[in-house]
Amino acid sequence: MKTPADDDNHLRYAEYVLGVLDADARAAVAHEVQTTEAAASAVALWQQRLMPLTEEVAQVEPPAYVWARIHHALHLNAPARGRPRQGLWNNLPLWHWLGIGASAVAVALLVVVTIPRTAPPAPTSTASPGYMVATIQQDNGVIGWTATMDPKNARMVVVPASPTAFARGRAPELWLIPPGAKPISVGMITPDKPTTLTLDPALVAQLGPKAALAVSVEPIGGSPTGQPTGPVIAKGAISGVPEARARPRKTAGTGFGSGATTAMLNASDRSGVQHKATTETDYRS
Amino acid sequence: MSVTRTVEQEELNQLLIETGSEDQKAFAELYKRTSSKLFGVCLRMLRDRSEAEEVLQETYTTVWRRASSFNAAKASAITWLMTLARNKSIDRLRQHREEQLDDPLKLDEAPDDQPTPAGEAETSQAHRRLQGCLDELEPQQRSSIREAFFTGATYNELATRCKVPLGTMKSWIRRSLMQLRTCLDQ
Repeated sequence: MKTPADDDNHLRYAEYVLGVLDADARAAVAHEVQTTEAAASAVALWQQRLMPLTEEVAQVEPPAYVWARIHHALHLNAPARGRPRQGLWNNLPLWHWLGIGASAVAVALLVVVTIPRTAPPAPTSTASPGYMVATIQQDNGVIGWTATMDPKNARMVVVPASPTAFARGRAPELWLIPPGAKPISVGMITPDKPTTLTLDPALVAQLGPKAALAVSVEPIGGSPTGQPTGPVIAKGAISGVPEARARPRKTAGTGFGSGATTAMLNASDRSGVQHKATTETDYRS
Repeated sequence: MSVTRTVEQEELNQLLIETGSEDQKAFAELYKRTSSKLFGVCLRMLRDRSEAEEVLQETYTTVWRRASSFNAAKASAITWLMTLARNKSIDRLRQHREEQLDDPLKLDEAPDDQPTPAGEAETSQAHRRLQGCLDELEPQQRSSIREAFFTGATYNELATRCKVPLGTMKSWIRRSLMQLRTCLDQ
């Protein structure tokens, strides 16, 4: 037989599920649910009653890096399987890991990814510089992007390591800062996806261990002046990767499971996810 | 209260059970099939993208850790997941309740609570039943219940928003909850 007290008590569970209780009352019910079977059952019933309302809420696809962060937080070890439809080029956990933890492997991957799209690199060009990497960090030490440069093929891959929010109408622009010189625009980068930039020969000539990369906040179309106009939110020095370690197939084989490598080689729609940067800036140094 | 389960629900249950045995492939598939629903709810409650992303991340890391405690006999996977996402969103809201309290801008941004046409076609039998019972409530009380559910607001916040005394809001909500229970449990 029901008493008013029963009803009151029961209503607390309903109020808990509805979400109207303040922090203290919520914590009290949550504790009860953990410790008594009756509370757990009552709350479960109310969830069953009310949760169908969530069907009315419009679905919104979360950005890919949320899944990357979940993967990272849980130390899951099968990055390539997470979002199969996106292909490896767009696989943030993989890039993230490559960019920060294993630059040599990243370079190797860049070579493997690059080769099918371009003529095979001439084996005789021994004078050309090796691959270079840069970790572009915010002032607080958080890594914003990692960049891998392939001067031989005038190409750079910039991978976001952590999400950065931009106000409407603003976007990140990447700059190369040669030693003692003014910044040179490399191009606009996508905040939440890897960006492949084609480098102007004048810019390739400036790449080197004494130069740095920086990201500033600019209007969507890029800085109107050819120099950074917004705040510089991250920067990092460029470092070389010894040529000897950048042998694609050997190195790539050591870092991942065969599944990832196969997926990488089979990624058929690479061109679809790349972003060619068009830079309207005239280069000055 | 009987539960009619669809094929989709059964599949999600299965995926959540497999996630409980640390099956990463099942977890990835579960995420693929449910994250947009959960993210929509988190966004709706928090009205802030980066916060919603954080809460979604917390939700799924908890899903991975707690999936083994899921019992398909007690709840459907989607109810279990939504409950987690809503609880985490509400906890987050309570952390900065003060800022939310008198922010008319945020209230104005609230999307229409009526089902979207696309949503309508896809809603479950359980939803239609709940909708039927909600329709029997007084309009003001119905909208208070919906506002509470979709925004995670406290009694105090609801009373402020609807410009009624706290006691009035409490009795509206409580009466509505009792009426809903009677209607749904028939």
